[in-house]
Amino acid sequence: MSSKDYILNALKSSAIAPQAMPVFNVAPRIDDLVGQFETNLNTVAGTLHREGGLVALQLKVDELIAQGLQVISMVDGIKGNRAVTDTAHELRDIDYAVIPGDLGVAENGAIWVNNKNLGHRVTPFICENLFLVIEADTIVANMHQAASKVTLEKGEFGTFIAGPSKTADIEQALVVGAHGACSLNVYLV
Amino acid sequence: MSNKNSAVHAKKAEIFCRDEARVDWHSKALWTVREKRDRAAGSLPEWEQLRQIGSEMKLHTLTNLGLYLEEFEKNCLENGIQVHWAKDGAEHNRIVHKILADKKVKKLVKSKSMLTEECHLNPYLEGHGIEVIDTDLGERIIQLAGQPPSHIVLPAIHMKRGEVGDLFHDKIGTEAGASDPFYLTRAARAHLREQFLSADAAMTGVNMAVADKGAVVVCTNEGNADMGANLPKLQLHSMGIDKIVPDLESASALLRTLARNATGQPVTTYSSFYRGPQEGGEMHVIIVDNGRTDMLKDKILAESLKCIRCGGCLNTCPVYRRSGGHSYNYTIPGPIGIAVGAQNDDTNSIPWACTLCGSCSYVCPTKVPLDKIIHHHRRLKAEAGKLPYGKSSYMPLVGNFMASETMLNCSMSVARTALKVLPGSLLKPFSGAWGKYRELPTAPNSSFEAWFKKNRG
Ligand code: SF4
Repeated sequence: MSSKDYILNALKSSAIAPQAMPVFNVAPRIDDLVGQFETNLNTVAGTLHREGGLVALQLKVDELIAQGLQVISMVDGIKGNRAVTDTAHELRDIDYAVIPGDLGVAENGAIWVNNKNLGHRVTPFICENLFLVIEADTIVANMHQAASKVTLEKGEFGTFIAGPSKTADIEQALVVGAHGACSLNVYLV
Repeated sequence: MSNKNSAVHAKKAEIFCRDEARVDWHSKALWTVREKRDRAAGSLPEWEQLRQIGSEMKLHTLTNLGLYLEEFEKNCLENGIQVHWAKDGAEHNRIVHKILADKKVKKLVKSKSMLTEECHLNPYLEGHGIEVIDTDLGERIIQLAGQPPSHIVLPAIHMKRGEVGDLFHDKIGTEAGASDPFYLTRAARAHLREQFLSADAAMTGVNMAVADKGAVVVCTNEGNADMGANLPKLQLHSMGIDKIVPDLESASALLRTLARNATGQPVTTYSSFYRGPQEGGEMHVIIVDNGRTDMLKDKILAESLKCIRCGGCLNTCPVYRRSGGHSYNYTIPGPIGIAVGAQNDDTNSIPWACTLCGSCSYVCPTKVPLDKIIHHHRRLKAEAGKLPYGKSSYMPLVGNFMASETMLNCSMSVARTALKVLPGSLLKPFSGAWGKYRELPTAPNSSFEAWFKKNRG
C-alpha cells in the first residue's frame, strides 16, 4: 500500500464526530480605515506617508540615487537606477525597492503584494529597504475582507507584508532588520 | 520515541531550577510575552468569536481530512507543485534526501519547522553529506550551540545575550565580549545572507495548507523563509496532515489569531502564500502523518491536532516557565508538547509536568482543551500501568484514582482537608519535587468542579 493510501485509510477510523464548517460573520470595524491602517502600520514598525503621493516618492528616490544608492522600481511612474536583473541573486546589492501593493489591511497594517509586480519573487525580501505604494481606496477593514479580495492565480506567489523584518530572538530584545528589509515606508496614492 | 537523554521531567527541571536567578528571568521573559498577547487579544472585540471559529473550522477540517488532503493534492499538482506522502519521520527524511540528492544539493537553508525537528531531519541529512543551515535567528543560535529548541516560537529563549555573544564570537567571528542584541542580530544577518545566496535548495515548514487553492502559507517575522525559498530554484515544504484548512478565508481567520497569540503582534511580518514554484523552479510539498492518524482515533487526543503552534500555551504555563523547555523529553515542550508527545515519552512523566490550572486551554486560539488532554494522558498512563518512577512508589493508589473520576474528586477533597488541618512540614515530603522549593497552597473550600457546578453549571 502506498503511504498516501495508508494515511487515507487510517483516517477512516477517526473518532471525532462530524462538525459543520462555521460561518465567518465577523463584524468589520469600518471607521477611519486609513487612520486604523496607519496606527497598526506604526505598531509593526512601518511608516505611512499620506501626503504627496508619487511626486513625494520620486523626490525621495532621486535623493537616494544622488547619494549613490541602488534603487529598483516596479511602480509605474517611479524611476529608479536599476533594472530587473537576469537572476534573483544579482539583486543582492539593492538598497531600496519600490513595489506596488494590491491592498492594505486596516486591522494589522499588512499590505498584499503579488509576484506579478515583483520581477523576481525575492525582491521585497532581499532589498535593504522597502517602499510600498498603495491606493487609499484599496484599504480593507480586516483579513476576512482581504481574503475575498486578494488575487492568487495558479502558480503565483503572494505575501502580506506588515512592516520591516524583525526579530526578538536574543533575550526578547526587538531588533528591526533581520533577513528581510530593514525599513518599510508606505506611500498612499 | 526513545531518547538517549531521557529523564523524568522533575529531574530535568531540577537541573534548570538550580540557577534560581535564571529561572526567574526565564519566567518573567515569557510572562511579558503573555501580557503582550493579552493586550493584542483584548484589542479585538471579536476575539472569542475568532477562537470559536478557529476551533470549529479546525474540527470540521479534521473530520473531513481525507477529502481535504485529496483536494489539496489535486490542486497542488495543477499548480505544478509535486506532492509526496510520508507515513512517518523516517520516510519523510528519505523523501527529502532523495529530492535533494537528485539535484545534487550540497547546502540547504531551512526556516523553522517543528515537524522536521520531530523527524530529526537535520542529523539525517548531515549524515548524508548535506550541509543544513537553520536560518531563523533563534534556530541558528541553538544550531550553533548544538542544542534543541526550548520553545516552539522562541527557540533560544533560555539563552542570555552574553551567551549568544560568546557563541557568535566562536562561530561567526563577532567581537569578543559583544552582547548587544542589535550588533549580534546584524552580524547574523550578514552571515546568513551569504548562506541564502549560496544555497542550492530551501526548506520550510507550513503554517497552513489551503486545500481549495493548492497553496501553502508560511509565516515569519524575519523574512528568512522567503529569502530562502525565493533564491534557489528548489523549494521544499514539510507539513503535518493537520495543517490543512479548506480555503483562503479559513487561513485568513487563523492569521488573525496566530501572531496575536504568539507574540502580541497584530500579524506576522510576512505571511506568504506559495501557489506554485518560481519560474524555472521546482516546488515540493511533503505531507506527513507520523502518528497523527493514531491520535485521531482517540477523540480527546484528536483535538490536539487543532493546534496552530502559536506557543501561547507555553508562555502562560507556570510549569513550563519555571522548568525550561529542555525538561520535557520531547521536541515540543509545554502543554501542547505534553498533549502531542506524552504517548512517546519513555519516562512516562511528562503528563505530570502540569498543574491542571487550565490557563493554556484558556489562551488557546483554537480552543485545544489542553488540560483535559493532559488529564486524559495521566489516565492512559495509569491504565497502562506506566506511572513514572516515584509516582508509583509514593502514590501506589494513584493509578486507580486517576482512572476513576469519583475517586479522583474524592481524593482531591481529602487533599484540600489535609492542606487545611495538617502542618506543612508533615505534608511537604508528599509533594515531591514540586514542593521542594515552594510553599504549599492554601486550600480552597470546595473543588473547582463543585464551584463551577454551583455558580456556572
Ligand atoms: S495548543 Fe493552542 S495555545 Fe498551544 S501552541 Fe497550539 S494553538 Fe497555540
